[in-house]
Amino acid sequence: MSGPAWTVTPAERYELSAEHALAYVPPDGAFALYNDYAQRRSVLVPTPSPVRPEDVVATWRDQLVGPPPRRLAPQETVEGYGTFTFPYGPVSMGVPESGRFDVITYGERILELGPLGGYKSRHVLNALAGATIEDAALRIERLAGNVSASHVAAFLAAAESARGESVPRSELWVRALAQELQRVYNHVHVLARIAEAASQNVGSAQSHALAEEILRLQGRAFGHRWLFGALLPGGPARHLDPPDRKALDRELQRCAREFDALWELFLDSRTFIDRIQSTCPVDRASAVHWGGVGPTLRACGVRWDDRLRVPGPPYNDLFLALPEERDGDALARLLVRVQEVRASFLLIEQMLDRWPPGPGSPEPASSPVLPGRGLGRVEAPSGDLVYDVSVANGKLASVSARTPSQANWPLFALGMRNAVFTDFHFALESFGLLFAETDR
Amino acid sequence: MPSWIERSWTRGILTTRYPRTPASEAETPATARAPVPPQGAPIPPSAVASCPVEAISPRGVDQGRCIRCARCLTQGLRLDGAAESAVSARSELLLPAGGGTTRPTAPLASLGRSLHLFLVDVGSCNACNLEVVALANPFYDSQRLGLFFTNSPRHADVLLVVGVPTEPMVEPLRRAYEAMPGPKAVVAIGACPISGGAFRGNPGLRGSIDELLPVDVYVPGCPPTPIQILDAILRLRGAGRREG
Ligand code: SF4
Ligand code: SF4
Repeated sequence: MSGPAWTVTPAERYELSAEHALAYVPPDGAFALYNDYAQRRSVLVPTPSPVRPEDVVATWRDQLVGPPPRRLAPQETVEGYGTFTFPYGPVSMGVPESGRFDVITYGERILELGPLGGYKSRHVLNALAGATIEDAALRIERLAGNVSASHVAAFLAAAESARGESVPRSELWVRALAQELQRVYNHVHVLARIAEAASQNVGSAQSHALAEEILRLQGRAFGHRWLFGALLPGGPARHLDPPDRKALDRELQRCAREFDALWELFLDSRTFIDRIQSTCPVDRASAVHWGGVGPTLRACGVRWDDRLRVPGPPYNDLFLALPEERDGDALARLLVRVQEVRASFLLIEQMLDRWPPGPGSPEPASSPVLPGRGLGRVEAPSGDLVYDVSVANGKLASVSARTPSQANWPLFALGMRNAVFTDFHFALESFGLLFAETDR
Repeated sequence: MPSWIERSWTRGILTTRYPRTPASEAETPATARAPVPPQGAPIPPSAVASCPVEAISPRGVDQGRCIRCARCLTQGLRLDGAAESAVSARSELLLPAGGGTTRPTAPLASLGRSLHLFLVDVGSCNACNLEVVALANPFYDSQRLGLFFTNSPRHADVLLVVGVPTEPMVEPLRRAYEAMPGPKAVVAIGACPISGGAFRGNPGLRGSIDELLPVDVYVPGCPPTPIQILDAILRLRGAGRREG
């Protein structure tokens, strides 16, 4: 199978910059600039005609929605004696997801790496037009199951904003609790996967065990191990009464201690640290230029996090320590994740401690960006997640999203240039990229 | 200085005793169980209307479609039934109105002892993949039962399929199946491969895995728990061999 005939020259690549290629362009041509960290609020600048970095970007966008395989990052053609393209995937590549990587190489060294998606496209968002919010939410949490809480929270926030609905304050707390639990799960899972790639068998087994414990706690508190339905009215029963919260808090404090002890041992393992240090580096300028988000961005010295950027309840009442690293390599990304696990444990502890006694005063949704159209954004485990929802007559008119994986794929491809093939798994896992999020 | 060995000792044994003992409460969250029709009574029409994936009809509840959203629980159904739910025929996933199940318990006995497993994701949300991969973690420790994950279909005895089959994955799936040496078995994991799950009817998708491969075991759920997946795989071994 040959890849799509689409390449960009370095000059064009410049055109495919953060605002143009990666900022997500809503369907009716309004242009949303999502990468403006200076702003305290979501910026949506409606313009009569789309901004025109045009043909290149049009090609890019066709690639993003067209049939597979489609490019998830721009790719240069590399030519030279002995170079060839090695397609890796879509099955049997040691990654539990289906996707493909086109590796241009002449042997050991990777000259260019192109992630290709579309194998898992389930057309989830397109098929939502005409559905009710509640039915749509059930599909959206099944878009990427391991980050379901973030997706549902962002979607619900956008839908509430579009409909001008207020939400009971306690619901916002429940959503935040679910998201922080899932952040812990995902970061611990990344640690386990990296340890697995580095053949740290005991470390990986123990990290996987810790991740399993978090899943079980989620199952106990929310009735579902992956929190499906748990954030919706009519979902499985939640167990968050005072005795349940106390038990949850106790278990989580034990998990937090486990995690600290585990990480200390990882830090002692020089071979482990050496393996990920300076692997797949992303420099600050590229991260900003390409619009990277989440731990990827914070690992190269940009302290940007939606939980602090647009603080709503409960985050505006809680203490959040935001980590930052500067080296931008796989180690830096892992260090950010490790500190975020601790920060999330601390957030959860505070939440369980100060849990609102009743539903609380209804919290007004953020104002719609256009009539009947709202944005919702949350900090998902791998970064800034944006949903854009239009509502007509109480039903959904359109739903689109800019996911953290979409923003970070190009940085992974960039970091893999000139890497050796054995770096692949360490690099991939350290970004926390999901094909499920881009194949929607 | 603490060491890995010391840590492993202080952690103690985490591994479940399943299948020697039944699955514990911690291994069985509420949504691991299927919604069952009320005993000796017809299914209320409001329950039929409440289901977002048309899993409920006056005839019964189709577990193969159910995504465990728990909505029908306010309409007279309850999450109940056995924690292990794997069956060998699609029709057995229908829980008929009026109560009672048709779930068989006999092992299928098509394969021998030690099994090599190959996972193919044909369009999943990752929850099913991760539940399968979780079998290797110390809590389930599938190796103690002689179950091993392999990265090549050439070494595999059992094909584990997760996700709703997308058009571009049809060919890779078929090739993976053909590359497996016989005798071989296929396990469909989750509502997605069985019926399309939450995405049934979306464009570009095959309706179910049945159109593509002969399926030996179906595991309903969204996602099924690791114990349910383990149970399904163990059913492929002959009687008396469940415990490895
Ligand atoms: S729990 Fe299953 S049967 Fe009940 S409404 Fe949800 S999908 Fe339908
Ligand atoms: S059955 Fe449910 S959990 Fe499994 S892949 Fe499908 S949507 Fe995800």
